[in-house]
Amino acid sequence: MGAETRQGRRARESRRWYLLFIPLFVVVGFVEIYPLIESLYISLTNLNGGASLSNYVTMVTTPTFWNALNISLLYSLSSTILAVLIGIGLTFILTQELKGKGIFEAIYILPLAAAPIVVGVLYSPSSVWDDIQQFFHFILHQPYFNELTPSFYFPVMFFSDAWEWSPLIMLVALSIVNSASKEVYEAAELHGASALQKFRMVTLPAVFRSPVMQFVVVLRFIDAMRAFEVPLAWTNWLGYTNTLGSPVDTISLYLYKLLYSSSLGFPLGVVSAVAVSLFVVTLVGALVLLRLMKAVGG
Amino acid sequence: MEKPVVDQAEALRKRAASRRRRRILLYVAAVLAAFYSFWPVMVMGLEGYNIDLGVIIAGEAFKTTTLYIGGLPVNVKAIIPTAYYYLQDLGLEAYPRLVANTLIVAGLSIGLSLAVGIPVAYVLARIEVRGRSLISYLLLALRTMSQFVVIVPLYIAYSRLGLYDTFTGIALAEQLIILAVVVWMLRGFFSDIPRDIYEAATVFGKNEWQVFRRVVFPMVIPGVVVTTMFALVLLWNEFLIADTLTGVATRTAMVGVWEGMSINQLSFNALAWDSLNAAGFLAYIPAIVVVLLIRRYLARGFSLGAAR
Repeated sequence: MGAETRQGRRARESRRWYLLFIPLFVVVGFVEIYPLIESLYISLTNLNGGASLSNYVTMVTTPTFWNALNISLLYSLSSTILAVLIGIGLTFILTQELKGKGIFEAIYILPLAAAPIVVGVLYSPSSVWDDIQQFFHFILHQPYFNELTPSFYFPVMFFSDAWEWSPLIMLVALSIVNSASKEVYEAAELHGASALQKFRMVTLPAVFRSPVMQFVVVLRFIDAMRAFEVPLAWTNWLGYTNTLGSPVDTISLYLYKLLYSSSLGFPLGVVSAVAVSLFVVTLVGALVLLRLMKAVGG
Repeated sequence: MEKPVVDQAEALRKRAASRRRRRILLYVAAVLAAFYSFWPVMVMGLEGYNIDLGVIIAGEAFKTTTLYIGGLPVNVKAIIPTAYYYLQDLGLEAYPRLVANTLIVAGLSIGLSLAVGIPVAYVLARIEVRGRSLISYLLLALRTMSQFVVIVPLYIAYSRLGLYDTFTGIALAEQLIILAVVVWMLRGFFSDIPRDIYEAATVFGKNEWQVFRRVVFPMVIPGVVVTTMFALVLLWNEFLIADTLTGVATRTAMVGVWEGMSINQLSFNALAWDSLNAAGFLAYIPAIVVVLLIRRYLARGFSLGAAR
């Protein structure tokens, strides 16, 4: 009897706990669920107001859409991999015996503070590359190189994205290293392992096996799929400001252009169809993230 | 008997030399990496002072050209370090206004997300509620969703409701960016509190509200401050939502900087570049300061609390 009432009280209490979630659901409902349903509705409605899949048909029969999807995958994959590589390099430096480590670390995290929209402009021809051009031309006596060829601007785009986010990989790797047990390192040292060997055989496996790192890498990939700021700067340089089909159009930049230039002649339904498709992709990504988060213990 | 000793000394010396070489290599790598990290920003900052490295390298640093400063033609050498552009930007009526707008937006949206997020984070950290993974998934979906899915309907709804170009409206929409992050960071800070403390407080006959108000909340205040600062950086750098849902009255700093940059990028207006670089650099400084202040918590913030 007593146990029952206690159970009853606990049930009532846990129901009271749910009340605390109501504000969250209100806000999320207004800024996420409602617009999402609306987008879905717009994308499934044709110009006459009837239900149809015509917007999706238009989407998949537009070549620029597939182009944008390909570029998006290439961009996200390349910049994520590059960020991981650079981040691991920075981690190696900061896990060695080094004087002024704190100062170096503080400098290395500076890119994290940069706004993506500024990063795109920074790495475009007018800022950083102007100086490099002059350096190559006047100091190394090389001819000016063409900045507007794909073999130049694609790597630069990946690099600018990786520049901003490699410190994050570094910070996460460092936090994993710091929480790992010191015994393995001591054992490796006892066997006369060099710094590089220790890093390769002890640090790297620990870092990449950690679900935390996997979580961050997947999150970074999804975020790169959503990003449009760096390609936006380059699409302006390439002269595709308000036109589709630029070689650097990622799916998000594609959406940005569709939204901001009504002259492109795409009805809102098609725009919504593209947006919903991108949403489905990120939703799957979120499912992967949820699994990893549970592995972390969240 | 003597020879091995010499050999040993020789070997030791060699090993010391190679170790020194490796140390030098390490420092070179560390300095290069530092250069890599701040160089683009440095370029922006310097060009704001009218110091163009490209011009210096080209050897045209002392060539005289005509600049129009304040509308008057002034004959100057190509490189004259000047704080003029910084002062111009700061003196512009628009710039402090943009910064103030950003801070108002940030204040309102962080306040809202804390009010909504603190109870949720507390419950998630405190007890095993059913449907916890559903809420986690909802927040993850919120964090990873492309803003383009919601921006059109929100824009339409805002125009209808009169929320377009209002601080309330933009603060509400920015929850897309910060709410999930705020909840997760706070949850982490609540989880850091040892369970014994909750139990001790309960044993002393405090009810749940008192436990929260008197015991737990004072302990997470530093965490709330860190979370606030982290959200501030996110909002400071946020572009798309601010660009879409703000108008003349509520335009934020980053949108203003980009508008200037994109216009001049298209028209190749070289003169305005210095001024824009100055503006971009000025906009970068607050973010740097905050990021450095909370550097120990950055991994936690960007990884939704996964990294400690």
